Amino acid sequence: MGRKGAAFPKGLRGTGDGPSGKILFHPQWPLGLRGTALAATVLALLGVVAFGVIREATTTGREAAPALSRPVAAPPPRPAWTRAEEAYIKALWPIHGEVERSAVRLSLGKIFYKTGELKKADLKTRADAALASYRRAEERLRALQPPLSLAASHDEYLAAVRLFQQAALEVLKMFDDGDDGHLLAAYPLSQEGTDKIREVGVKFWQDEFPPH
Amino acid sequence: MRPKLMGLLAAVGVVAIAGGLFGGSALGAAEPEQNNLVPPQTLPQGFESTGELLRDQEEATNAPLYSAWLVESSRFINVASGSFMPDRAFIPGSTDPKHNLPFFDFPANVGIIKGKDGTITLYDSGWKQLEYIFDWNTSCCWWDLPNQMKSIGLDPAAVTRIVIGHGHWDHAGQLDSFPNAVLYVQAEELRQIDFFIDYPIAFNDGHIRAVNTVDPLTNTQIGPPQQACARSPVCGYPPQTVAEIEGKVLAGKAKIVDGRFRVAAGLIIHPAFRGHTYGSQLLQVHTPAGELVFGSDTYSSWEGIRDWNVANIQQTDTIQQFLAYEKCYVLTSNSASFNNCLAAHERLSYSDDYPITKNWWTITNGNCSRAAELILANAEKTHVPANVTTGSTTISLPGVTPPIVAPWRVDSVVCKDTISTVPPHSISP
Repeated sequence: MGRKGAAFPKGLRGTGDGPSGKILFHPQWPLGLRGTALAATVLALLGVVAFGVIREATTTGREAAPALSRPVAAPPPRPAWTRAEEAYIKALWPIHGEVERSAVRLSLGKIFYKTGELKKADLKTRADAALASYRRAEERLRALQPPLSLAASHDEYLAAVRLFQQAALEVLKMFDDGDDGHLLAAYPLSQEGTDKIREVGVKFWQDEFPPH
Repeated sequence: MRPKLMGLLAAVGVVAIAGGLFGGSALGAAEPEQNNLVPPQTLPQGFESTGELLRDQEEATNAPLYSAWLVESSRFINVASGSFMPDRAFIPGSTDPKHNLPFFDFPANVGIIKGKDGTITLYDSGWKQLEYIFDWNTSCCWWDLPNQMKSIGLDPAAVTRIVIGHGHWDHAGQLDSFPNAVLYVQAEELRQIDFFIDYPIAFNDGHIRAVNTVDPLTNTQIGPPQQACARSPVCGYPPQTVAEIEGKVLAGKAKIVDGRFRVAAGLIIHPAFRGHTYGSQLLQVHTPAGELVFGSDTYSSWEGIRDWNVANIQQTDTIQQFLAYEKCYVLTSNSASFNNCLAAHERLSYSDDYPITKNWWTITNGNCSRAAELILANAEKTHVPANVTTGSTTISLPGVTPPIVAPWRVDSVVCKDTISTVPPHSISP
């Protein structure tokens, strides 16, 4: 079927049979002791340099890139974050993780509930946990003081967390009145929330979800 | 005459019974043996015997035929070759064609499959994250799938099914652009996300993570304890993408399948669990050229399938990727073999070098994205421009003034470098 065996470059095979050994041992050595020492030093230095160059070149070529799609050409330069911005981004990071986990857990809970893989009571557990998590996230967000340059992103994130809370509350109504229609009513809210946190997230942590 | 006829009928009957007994039992006898060869740690619903695959191939011969196209949703630029295919790693100074390319450019392909009744099935739904593509990744050539389809003469409103090879955001990205389509996704794909979202991170601060996968300030993806799941396939599911799948389920527009599944006559889902992600799936399509097998990231590279090389090093299980290659070999064994395996990221796509994509052209108003007509059926007229080898079209995005005209088969690098532009999008850091 045209499948080919793995080809190994010839250069990687053993080289013990090569003629190089003979060339190195000249029968009439023309240099004296000092000359030999000097030549040996120069050769050693050249060897170190050559080793370094080859190693650098080959490891650069062979090493797996940190991300499948990471380009060699640098992305458009972005001004470095200020200290205040860095502090804010770092503080938002764990909040972001908790919000993401809760959003995915509840989404999957709704999917599994609809497909019969999750009991109604277990969905309630997920919805309760998500709501508590979103409320906690809002409190933590409110405690942050974003620099002016990131105020819009902060507001966007806060709005997203509130949408998630509304969505979770909407889901929880189905346990009061038994109407699964609340899942559908909640969906646009949580969907908008996921759009917002993705937009903010990709601004701060563009490689969080690398393509692959 | 009559006794002779009776004798002939009796003889035919005996042959038919013998054929039924021995022919049928031969296939039947092979199956238990095959089933004994289930690889370890394989879910029963994820396993397909060679006998089953051959039967799928045989039964497809009586199925309706489909036409098929491929479109490029976007293009990765300058991917280090060794980070995509270890067997193709660049060796400085090498003249070996397997090792003399430092970087690959390759597309993210979407399959478009049209039945006799005019309805369309998509295999994967392309990218959506323009911020990532254009602001960070220096990728190129994205244009939205419904408009790409219109430009090549296919009706996006006719899309009734979307089979996603897996649920990563760069392959399941435009689900909400097709509100009437039913989504087909494996239950194992969803179970995987559910498991890894809560994977314990107590050990060395966590080796595998589904979220929070980079250093918050440098964005580097490095090993533990600095939180790096980014080298594994479990971190490709942002809440936004999972929400889109949820939207399909809540709207009654999703079919959560569990292993093999017949979507329609001539369209069969084959599980490729762990071939890329835990719930990866292939799609067998019956066409006049035999069976086509679409593989998304399980078939990241057609060259990999041809040369028996692992492709896309972020596979859950490389053995499963090779077993998925084998499925394509079996299903296409009575036609063009590996030439009928459709890869999501084949660098040779849209060229004679990947023969099934040789009928290609640059999509009108498509930002340098490309399309290929794979095969036609049911008297479908060709969508390849009549003057594809000599003519030109508007290649630039709508609204670019003056519109940029270029040959239908403009050099892809020239197009990327001189014509492709950044579509409007919401975040511009």
